[in-house]
Amino acid sequence: MGDTGTTHGVKVDSPLVIRLEHVSKTYKSSTRPALDNVSVDMDKGEFVFLIGPSGSGKSTFLRLLLREEVPSKGRVYVSNFDVAKMARRRVPRLRQSIGCVFQDFRLLATKTVAENVAFALEVIGKPRHTIRKVVPEVLQLVGLDGKADRMPNELSGGEQQRVAIARAFVNRPLVLIADEPTGNLDPDTSQDIMLLLERINRTGTTVVMATHDHSIVDSMRRRVVELSLGKVVRDDARGVYGVGR
Amino acid sequence: MRASFVFSEVITGLRRNITMTIAMILTTAISLGLLGGGLLIVRTIGKMQANFLSALQVEVNLDDAVSAGDPNCTQSICAGLRADLTNYPGVVSVQFQNRNQTFAKAKAEFSNDPEMEQLVRPEAFPASLLVSLQNPTQSGVISAAFASKAGVRDVDDQGVFVQKLTDLLNGVRNATFLIALIQALAALMLISNTIQVSAFTRRTEVGIMRLVGATRWYTQLPFLLEAVVAGVVGAVLAVGGLVVAKVAFLDNIFGSVFSSTIIPKIGLLDIASVSPWLLLAAVGISALTGYVTLRLYVRL
Repeated sequence: MGDTGTTHGVKVDSPLVIRLEHVSKTYKSSTRPALDNVSVDMDKGEFVFLIGPSGSGKSTFLRLLLREEVPSKGRVYVSNFDVAKMARRRVPRLRQSIGCVFQDFRLLATKTVAENVAFALEVIGKPRHTIRKVVPEVLQLVGLDGKADRMPNELSGGEQQRVAIARAFVNRPLVLIADEPTGNLDPDTSQDIMLLLERINRTGTTVVMATHDHSIVDSMRRRVVELSLGKVVRDDARGVYGVGR
Repeated sequence: MRASFVFSEVITGLRRNITMTIAMILTTAISLGLLGGGLLIVRTIGKMQANFLSALQVEVNLDDAVSAGDPNCTQSICAGLRADLTNYPGVVSVQFQNRNQTFAKAKAEFSNDPEMEQLVRPEAFPASLLVSLQNPTQSGVISAAFASKAGVRDVDDQGVFVQKLTDLLNGVRNATFLIALIQALAALMLISNTIQVSAFTRRTEVGIMRLVGATRWYTQLPFLLEAVVAGVVGAVLAVGGLVVAKVAFLDNIFGSVFSSTIIPKIGLLDIASVSPWLLLAAVGISALTGYVTLRLYVRL
């Protein structure tokens, strides 16, 4: 990756979407690296759980993909972006091909559901007729049709997370990054959100989800990458959260 | 980039932070108003010098004996002085004016003051040699060279008066510019602070914008435009303030000073010609301050 291909679409001859090569990240304030010589490949359409205790490096991993951080050593590729080396002015293009969902939803309280989703398209300069067309579509996809004009504070936590997912997905990203998306939700609602993420995954979007939720990881039986003290200690194609945890 | 979106962001930003916005606009307006006032004084000085210095003459007044005894400047003292002055470097022309001519001129000047007109007598006025110079500001040289010559009573240098007036206006101008500068510093810091507060109150929006891949311009332009809009409003207020100050203050209170035509009147046209500079200064300063603030102090 990175050396071939011209658009930010995935190349036909390689299904790779994410590649970390011997990546280490050390923060100035700490002597121990947050990530220590991590090498991971993820294919197009994969659903990957990133697990590990707090401080194991999950967040750093995700931040490197978004180029919120640059690695101290090694290389990071997302699609055909050489993430660590790319010019700053190209970073917006990278982020337009990655959708993000967080534990705290991060919705704009002053905008309606539809406006929140439209916001993501407005700020990357999409024309208005496109926005008018795709926003209702994606709201239907996440099961929020009929709630377009509600304000976020009128919605349940699960519904708010659906809005966030709609916003992350509305630009049809290659990769969806979810950082503890069920962290604030009850088990039933969490299950609904997981079904939604699975649906999005089936459209060919690679989903990378950091989580602490045992039951979700165990029930989904998807790929599990476990981090501990910044190292990859496990990478199972169809894993569970872990024995005896 | 969608202009309507950026525009609505700017309006929201300005309204959310309304007290700071008003403070920013007022400070900018006062600063620009003072700058405008200073520029108007500069124009006035220029006009005044153009009007007066070109017409300015040095009057070499002759003493009583010459004034009384030589009405046509034919005798040796007067004729000698005239010849010396004519040959003096930088002198364009020398014109003789005898006692009666001086008296007639004075009488005409006092025509609206009958008491004075009654009092003046031709004997009180000297005959004069009126000297026009190539460079009117060098009138002091004539004064130095001829004041003590035989037959000369004194040298009346109008340039000294105009110079004094120019110095006074220059002083007022400098003071105005100084206050404008201090006020501009305050405006600068307010603009910078407003942008920082604005960026802080909107950090969630900006965070989301960055996350979904908005370009740096898209995230920062609303803040920059907020500053520029406030600057432009400030400039408009400043121009309005100058017009009000001219009509209410200069025309009403100092009208008589201007009607004497020594200091040229400040017209609406003068204000109109200064306004574009104020607008330019407002846009330039606010945009620059905004840009520097966003680069140095705001992590977007």
